[in-house]
Amino acid sequence: MTHSSRHNPGLSDAPLIEFENLAIGYDESPLLANLNLSVPRGSFTGLLGSNGSGKTTLIKTMLGILPPLSGTVRFNGANGTTLAIGYVPQRETLDSVYLFSAFEVALMGVYGRVRPGRFPSRADREAVRECLASVGAEPFADQRFSELSGGQMQRVLIARALVAEPELLALDEPTAAVDADAARAIGKLLSKLRKERNLTILMVNHELHWMRQLATNLIWLRNGRAEQGPTDELLSPEHIEQMLQLELG
Amino acid sequence: MIGALAPLFGVFLVMRRMVFLGVALPHISATGIALALSLHVWLGYYDGAHGSNERILAIIGSIVFAGGALLVLALLERRGSAAAEGRIGAAYVIATATSILLLAKCPQAERGWLSLFKGEIIAVSDQDLVLGAVSFAVLTTVLLVFRKELLLVSYDRALATVLRKNVVLWDVVLYALIGLSISISVFIAGPLITFGFMLIPPLIAQVFARSMRQLGIIASIVGGAGAFAGFCAAYHWDLPIGPSNVAVLGAAYVLSLAGSAIVRFVATRTRRTRAKATERIDSPSSEAP
Repeated sequence: MTHSSRHNPGLSDAPLIEFENLAIGYDESPLLANLNLSVPRGSFTGLLGSNGSGKTTLIKTMLGILPPLSGTVRFNGANGTTLAIGYVPQRETLDSVYLFSAFEVALMGVYGRVRPGRFPSRADREAVRECLASVGAEPFADQRFSELSGGQMQRVLIARALVAEPELLALDEPTAAVDADAARAIGKLLSKLRKERNLTILMVNHELHWMRQLATNLIWLRNGRAEQGPTDELLSPEHIEQMLQLELG
Repeated sequence: MIGALAPLFGVFLVMRRMVFLGVALPHISATGIALALSLHVWLGYYDGAHGSNERILAIIGSIVFAGGALLVLALLERRGSAAAEGRIGAAYVIATATSILLLAKCPQAERGWLSLFKGEIIAVSDQDLVLGAVSFAVLTTVLLVFRKELLLVSYDRALATVLRKNVVLWDVVLYALIGLSISISVFIAGPLITFGFMLIPPLIAQVFARSMRQLGIIASIVGGAGAFAGFCAAYHWDLPIGPSNVAVLGAAYVLSLAGSAIVRFVATRTRRTRAKATERIDSPSSEAP
């Protein structure tokens, strides 16, 4: 396992997230090991790789959904506080049998600050409405979530993540199985939100063109290896050719 | 009471796609009761009497068996193992067979257990009714107060983890509520009524409900109405109450599915007819000069 870490002069040197000697996988069998990577503060970092390369496993390990096999994930939140994270899962993981409206799904984002047995306040509900409006999801807020289109669902899930007032927005394949127009709109929305809210974004995707358009930095998982660097550098024709040659022989 | 409140717990079994578990658990719980009722035979006392001590043992047996089975089967369900469904089926069959074998040497207990199995609730004592009412009141209150957390961990465990909720704790709370409601319901009314009211009303409500709140309310109303209608049918035709209740719920489920299919069919036909009429109006007539 090898990795590299390059300096990106456009961003702060203090990373928001650091992976130290991290090994990830399931049932004690490592998918990726010895990961020493970082996510720069304020960056739009793309987590790139083919199917089965470990992108979702890495993001889930980072979020604490899966335990690491070894090593640590360190978060450097603002003023030493715990890092507030907004998470947008793959929408297929949410069962359509539940009869939640889009508003009710977005409202789950405030549950982190509502104590057990209590219910969201009027202010919480207004905050949710504002977040839905900010991502253009207000018109279908009262429709059943499972009956929305892929692009509409993604907007609701992004609104839900924003409700938690996050420093880090982690998205798992937000443009998967979404038509080209909706995917472009989601891309624009993410860029706008990053600028407006000073967010750090970590987005899992396997499509090079989206990464080229959106990401400032990349973590590229290929053949059990992780490579990190600025997008321009990692997606340059020379570098891609070099990687293909290594792969071929 | 069981008719109106058990469906609220059943909603979680249906939503979490653990319906089969809801069928198996009441039977496993009934095995705990069978063991308790035949304990004196196994311990060597053949007086055949069944007093209040055995009622206490029966409720303990019901809770221990339902709780233990729920723990093991829920773990298998969560792991998503393809074999889990088979194991639940096997547990259901083995539990029923074990109950009959356990009671084979104690005819008095066997009669009591069989009437429980058939849902003969006429003979329920005042003490058991009070126990059931208090238990269901407490369990339903806990379910309603913490429904936000229970729905979150059921719908999106990943988000619950990211929001730093104790996912394992809330799973344990939900399973404990389901396990206890099944145990008490089986102790009072038997496995047939328990799984009938826990599962059929939420399935009927699914056909009509547009929100989770509606799902719970409709399931509860259907359960309560089904219990009343079943009781009336049993009284009128001199039938056992348990099967009558389940038969009424079954008929209501079939009717609701048929009604829903007819509504969908009519709506589709109407849409197509309107679309064709619009096409005819929009397109120029072939007979026009």
